[in-house]
Amino acid sequence: MEKGKVRTFFTYVDERYMLVRAHPAVKIVSLVVLNVIPWIIEAPAPLAFFLASLLLAASLMKAPLSKLRNYLPYLLLVAQAVVLSYVLGSRIPGNVVFIEFPWGCYVTDKTLLYMASVVLRISSMLVGSTLVFLSLRDTDVVYGLKSLGVPFSAAFAFNLALRFSALFLDDYARVRDAMLLKGAKLDAGNPLERAKLLSRTAVPLMVIAVRRMQDLSFALELKGFPPSGRRTFLYQFQWSRFDAAAFALLAVATAGVVVAKIVSPLLSFPGWPFV
Amino acid sequence: MVDARKVAVTAVTAGLCLPLALFAIILVPIPGLPAASGFWIPAGFYFVMTLWFGVWGALGGHIATFLAMGYFQGFTLQVWADGALGDLIAPLVALVAFKLMGARPELKNRKDRIAWLVGVPIASLVCGLWVHTVNLFFGVITWPFWWVGVLTYFIGDSLAVFIVGTPLLRSLTSYVKQSPMYIWRD
Repeated sequence: MEKGKVRTFFTYVDERYMLVRAHPAVKIVSLVVLNVIPWIIEAPAPLAFFLASLLLAASLMKAPLSKLRNYLPYLLLVAQAVVLSYVLGSRIPGNVVFIEFPWGCYVTDKTLLYMASVVLRISSMLVGSTLVFLSLRDTDVVYGLKSLGVPFSAAFAFNLALRFSALFLDDYARVRDAMLLKGAKLDAGNPLERAKLLSRTAVPLMVIAVRRMQDLSFALELKGFPPSGRRTFLYQFQWSRFDAAAFALLAVATAGVVVAKIVSPLLSFPGWPFV
Repeated sequence: MVDARKVAVTAVTAGLCLPLALFAIILVPIPGLPAASGFWIPAGFYFVMTLWFGVWGALGGHIATFLAMGYFQGFTLQVWADGALGDLIAPLVALVAFKLMGARPELKNRKDRIAWLVGVPIASLVCGLWVHTVNLFFGVITWPFWWVGVLTYFIGDSLAVFIVGTPLLRSLTSYVKQSPMYIWRD
């Protein structure tokens, strides 16, 4: 491992990334808030402002922004779906009609604005979630959810799901390599054919899964799961000033957005400056 | 009561299905439907896990779908209510079909095969209707894309479950029967 790097669920990140060192509860709450705020805002300009603020905050916290470039294709994948849906299948009245289709749908200036809102909303959520996931360590989900009052069993199952997904990615790579060595062409054909080829890895993956399930259940039973009485934890996370400030900022931002949405038209579609 | 076996079933099913759900969204996207896939590979796995291990397998599929779809479309109530809840309902419908028909997941006799051939399309249709009506209600898709969504969901889900799930049930059920977590007793 490179010096100064921290292992998170799916990658290694620079230990200077402030969110990595944050209290696990702050990471979980950030994930929720960074998805809820864009969901509440409907107007494109405030959504663009939110996305820009998010990127600026991430840069100030020394987030690995270069890694976001790897996730750009995913954003394009979702954006094409939104654009097609709204261009070919919507009837949003506006001031100018650009194109009208024989099946009764049309594109107006408001359609483009609404489309921009949806794309910006999804982009904000994807960027926000990626930044939080880049900072999540193995222990964070359990400790974070537990400190937010979620029952230990549920938090533990959720954490195991994420942990196992990383393990199954390795298993999948191993099975795929074995199949390639035997002459299988897993990258041939159209996307559906490739997906079908991918599904040929199902039987070996399932055998691994069933074995792992049995091993896990034995290990958990031996460790006295589910815990009865008060359990202790290996790590103790203390709340730092950064954690308290981040928590307060997230709470104030959420409350501010909710209040602004209720009392003014600025955040409702089309919102500022189109009101 | 949550015990070690149930947690193991849920966690392993979710862990297995999560990367597959991400692959499915990336490999076979549907134009006009964000975070949807024309070939929902994980369905084949969590249908089988549910038929072998019951509700806890379906719960694993539910967690995996919420995490995968949420990543592309936001971790919101809407994503939980449509894709994730829909993917909890679908394998349970298939499980109920097997229970009602007195069939077994080994697909050994005619009754088993009929339960599989009837249960899967019904489950996919119920789930497709659920998912896209919720999507429409939340304004994620437009009305002309509703039937596209239901149809592609019905086809994509059924196809994936039949292609992935059938060989799994036929070749691995006798192996899985030895597990104490298997829910069917002869």
